This record gives sequence, structure tokens and C-alpha cells, in this order.
Amino acid sequence: MSLKDSIRSTTVADRILLIFLLFISFFSLLLTKEVLSRSKEVSIEVDGEVRYIYPLDTDRKVYVEGSHGHLTVEIKDRGVRVTDSSCPNKLCQRQGWVRAGAIICIPGRISVTVGGSEKSKGVTPDAITG
Amino acid sequence: MQSQDNYRIALLSSYALALHGLESLIPMPLPWIRVGLSNIITLMALLLFGFRAAVMVTLTRVTLASLFNGSFLGPGFILSLGGGISSILSVVCVFTLLPGVFGPVGLSLIGALFHNLSQLLLAYALFIQKAEPVLIVCPVLMLLGTITGLVNGLTTDLVIRNLKMSGISLHNN
Amino acid sequence: MDTLVTIQVVAKRPERAEKAIDRAFAEIKRLGDLLNFYSEESELAKINRSAGISDVKVSPETLDLIEKAVSTSGKTGGTFDVTIGPEIILWDFAEKKKPDDGTIKERLNLVNYQWIAIDREKSTISLMKRGMLIDLGGIAKGYIADRAVEELKREGIVSGLVAVAGDIRAFGDKPDGRPWRVGIRNPRQSGRDDEIMAMIELKDMAISTAGDYERFFIADGNRYHHILDPKTGYPAKASRSVSVIAREGAFTDSYSTAVFILGPEKGLEVLRKMGFEGLIVDEHGKVHTTDGLRDRIEFKRLDS
Repeated sequence: MSLKDSIRSTTVADRILLIFLLFISFFSLLLTKEVLSRSKEVSIEVDGEVRYIYPLDTDRKVYVEGSHGHLTVEIKDRGVRVTDSSCPNKLCQRQGWVRAGAIICIPGRISVTVGGSEKSKGVTPDAITG
Repeated sequence: MQSQDNYRIALLSSYALALHGLESLIPMPLPWIRVGLSNIITLMALLLFGFRAAVMVTLTRVTLASLFNGSFLGPGFILSLGGGISSILSVVCVFTLLPGVFGPVGLSLIGALFHNLSQLLLAYALFIQKAEPVLIVCPVLMLLGTITGLVNGLTTDLVIRNLKMSGISLHNN
Repeated sequence: MDTLVTIQVVAKRPERAEKAIDRAFAEIKRLGDLLNFYSEESELAKINRSAGISDVKVSPETLDLIEKAVSTSGKTGGTFDVTIGPEIILWDFAEKKKPDDGTIKERLNLVNYQWIAIDREKSTISLMKRGMLIDLGGIAKGYIADRAVEELKREGIVSGLVAVAGDIRAFGDKPDGRPWRVGIRNPRQSGRDDEIMAMIELKDMAISTAGDYERFFIADGNRYHHILDPKTGYPAKASRSVSVIAREGAFTDSYSTAVFILGPEKGLEVLRKMGFEGLIVDEHGKVHTTDGLRDRIEFKRLDS
């Protein structure tokens, strides 16, 4: 009848599974936080190519324009958010501040990743000679 | 018999839809990934009314939600569908192959696990193609999914217990 | 001048950036008008019209540019020569017609940078023989990039990149502390994926590239392009593309043309003498570089 009954009626397998999953989640969470807290960069990719890399510790606003859309990235207090995007559902904006992880605008094909790779290979050139 | 089933499916679907709408408000770093609140309904449908009912409820929920959203056949639809189906399949497999081993809590956890993993996999394969953001979201999703799974399982168990008390029979598939 | 000019600037406030960029573009337009080969009102046209007749008073920038052109000519044994004008106008890359050999040979008599008279005091230029024509195509863009950068700096900008078509000059660093990165075009690009053959970081330097793929046509199995050898009047064959890195765009532009014509061996020698860095893709596609370039350049694909 009560919650206590429900809890008591959980099987052994249930409890083992629960503990196991909680353990893995916490563990991987700590691991990721550790890796990410070492990150100092925000990497902005457009159409699959890295276009800008900015340090996380300097506040700034960046206007990003791609062939399929545009948005403004704001970096402040070591957090990142997207404001003012051209995509219809504004999912990227609704995420608010992100300290670790990524904000992806699929219609605009723009992704903002915190704690990206230290050295990005295949960066788009600022200009081409020849 | 048929009409009673349909009535139940319709009712359950509307609850599922409501939960689906509710969980879409939870922000996730990766778009269209959901924590799986509506799995309560799916699980209950499965335990009370069987496989067919559970599948119908899921399909109805996912299709209607995306039609209302205007995202029918869009990425959100695909991820919800994939997550929902693999969740049901995994639970049915475990239920059939290892009867009695897991209670509603365990089944809910398994369903949640497969739901989330398939969402991540589909998102990676079809839309995102970059391992990094997916890997970063994975632990967060796992944790939230586990908690949701636990809550869902306990809730399901509670509800079924109460229903049993009121004399409604369980359908065993 | 039908050229694509791009200016990128780093500044704390957008208004400052916009003002500086506007001034830079104004300067670019002003210089373009002065040095335009095809316009009748440009100073260059006046000089060409007065060949063998009189000297022409010119602006300090025109004088500066022609002096630099002559300097490059001197250091490369006349391989770079802006008096190539009479030969260049014979070639029509749109119509894909090769000019008559006899005419090409005849006009060689009008090509010689030593017949440019420069009077610094009076600020005049004159061409000693009638029929001589100066074409600044091999040096103007680099020079204009230099002046644009100067204008930006005058407006207080500390970091930026000016690209006048393929003649690029960068100064300062980007906001993330990294230097500006420039891609070098693959002379035999076949699709979108192999557009760039190498990437190089520019720290307060300029880069220019001379290539046989910019303006050309293929006729009876030969590639005829716009980089003519002043000694023969025909397109130079020794290289496919040459990129030169130096402090000034005027020199990267003119020396890339000269090194293209000279080929890898003599070209590298000239670059070493001048203390410039450079990359040569020779006629067989083999890549040669100056020693100092190796640490700063990242090749995307290596030619055999």
C-alpha cells in the first residue's frame, strides 16, 4: 500500500542493478568533470569545421554565422550560452549556461563545445593565398 | 474486449503524452534527448495489459507528440521512437527470459538504460557525428536516467499494488 | 580592379573596428585608382601614355611602389620586371588565343626595367622608350595590403589580417592568443577536399603566391598562363606555384613572381640571399622549401 512496501518488495537483482548503475554514473560523471575542469577552451564549429577557439576565462560575445544559420555565443564567468539564434525551436538558447559539454544547433550546423581538444587539427584557415 | 483495450490504450496514451510534454521542458546539452519520464506509462501498460498495448501506447505517444510539436519525422521523433521501442524490447526480453528476477524497479531501470543508450547512439549516428559532445553528456544522462528509472519503477509498483488491491487483474504476457 | 579584398580586425569595440576598416578600404580604393592599368585617369596610365615623351609627376605611393619594383628587378637579375606591359597585353585569357611568335619577339625590345627613370626630388617617373608600358600586376596587390595594414595600425588596431585576393598581410594575434593562420592553395586542386596543401602561421608577416592556375588556358597540349618570363615573353615553365613569406607584401608579391620564373634552385638562392622564406611547387609537382619554413608550416598532403 505504501512506498515502504514497494521498496521492500524490490528483488535482489533490482537492488544490485540500481547500485551498479548509480556507481557507474557517479564514477563516469566524476571522470568527465575532472577532464573538463582542465579545459580552458571554447571551440566553435561551423559546418563540421572548427572556426573559432576562445579561452574560457575571458568574457566575450561572439557572433557566429554559417551557411545555414547564425547565433551569438556568450562566454562569461567560465560559462557559455547561446543567445539570439536563427533556428526555429531555439533549443540551443533554452539550455542556458553550460560549464562543460556542448550546445549544438543542428539546423544551423553550429556547435559550441566547452573543453574541446587541446589542439584542434584541421582548423579552417583565416585566409587562403594562391 | 477490443474496445475496452482501446479505451485503456487511449487513456494511457494521454497520460504518456502529458509526461512526454513535461519532460521536454528539462534542458539537456544535446537537443531532443529525454530522461524517460513517460516510461512509467509504458511499463505499466506492459505489466497490466501486455506487449501489444505497451507498443501501441508508445507509438501513439511519440507520433501525437511530434505532430503537435510540428516535429513529425524530425530528429526528436526519431530519438523518442528509437528510445521507446528499445526500452520496451529490452524489458520484454528480460521479463520473458528471466521471469521473476527483476521487479518493476529493475525492469524500469533496464528500460531507462536502453532508452537512453539508444537515444545517444541514434543521435550520434544520425545527427551529431562527433563523439565528444555525446561522450560528455553520457554520464549526466545515465545518472538522471537511473534516478528516473528508480522513481518510475517505484511509482509503477505502487500503482499496480493499489490496482491489485482494487481487484484489477494483471495481464501476464 | 576586380579583386576580392577581405579585412579582419580584432578590436574591443565594434565601432572602432568599423571605422578602421572603412579607412583601410578607402585607402585601398584610392591606391587602386592610382595604379589601375586599365583606367585612363590613373597615374599609371599617365606614365604609360608619356613613355618616350615626358616625365610624369606622381604621388609618393606610386613612386615608392615603382622604386620597390625596380629594387626587386635589380636583386633578381631582371627576372621580375614591371615593364612587361607590352607583352602582357598580347595575351587574351578569355579568348584563349596565343599571340603570334613574331610579335612576342619584337616587343621584347621594349622590356627593360633599367629604362625606368625615377626622380626622387621631383617625384617623377618616366619611361625612356616609346611604346614601353608598366604593368604593376605583380606587385600592386602586396603593396596595397601593406598600406591597408598601415592604415589599420594608424587607427590603433593591434591585430588584423588584410587579404587583397591572395596577397595577405597579418599583424598581431587572434583573440585566443594564436597567430593568424593562412592556407596555401593546392596548385592542382581537384575538389573541395584538397583545396589547401599547407597551413602556415603568420606572425606580423606577409605572404603572396604566384601560380600558373590563376589565369590560364590550355592549347595544343600546353598550359599558357599569365606569369611571363621577361627574357622570352612566354609563360614561365619552371614552377606550378610559389609562395613567399616576408615582412612586406610588396616584396612577397614581387619575389613570388620572380622565384616562380627562376624555378626551385635559383629561386631558393634568391630567397636565401634576401632572408625571405618560401615554398616552391616545381613543374613536376615536387615541393621545395627554405630552411626556416619547416617548423612553421603544416602540410596537409605531400606531393611526390
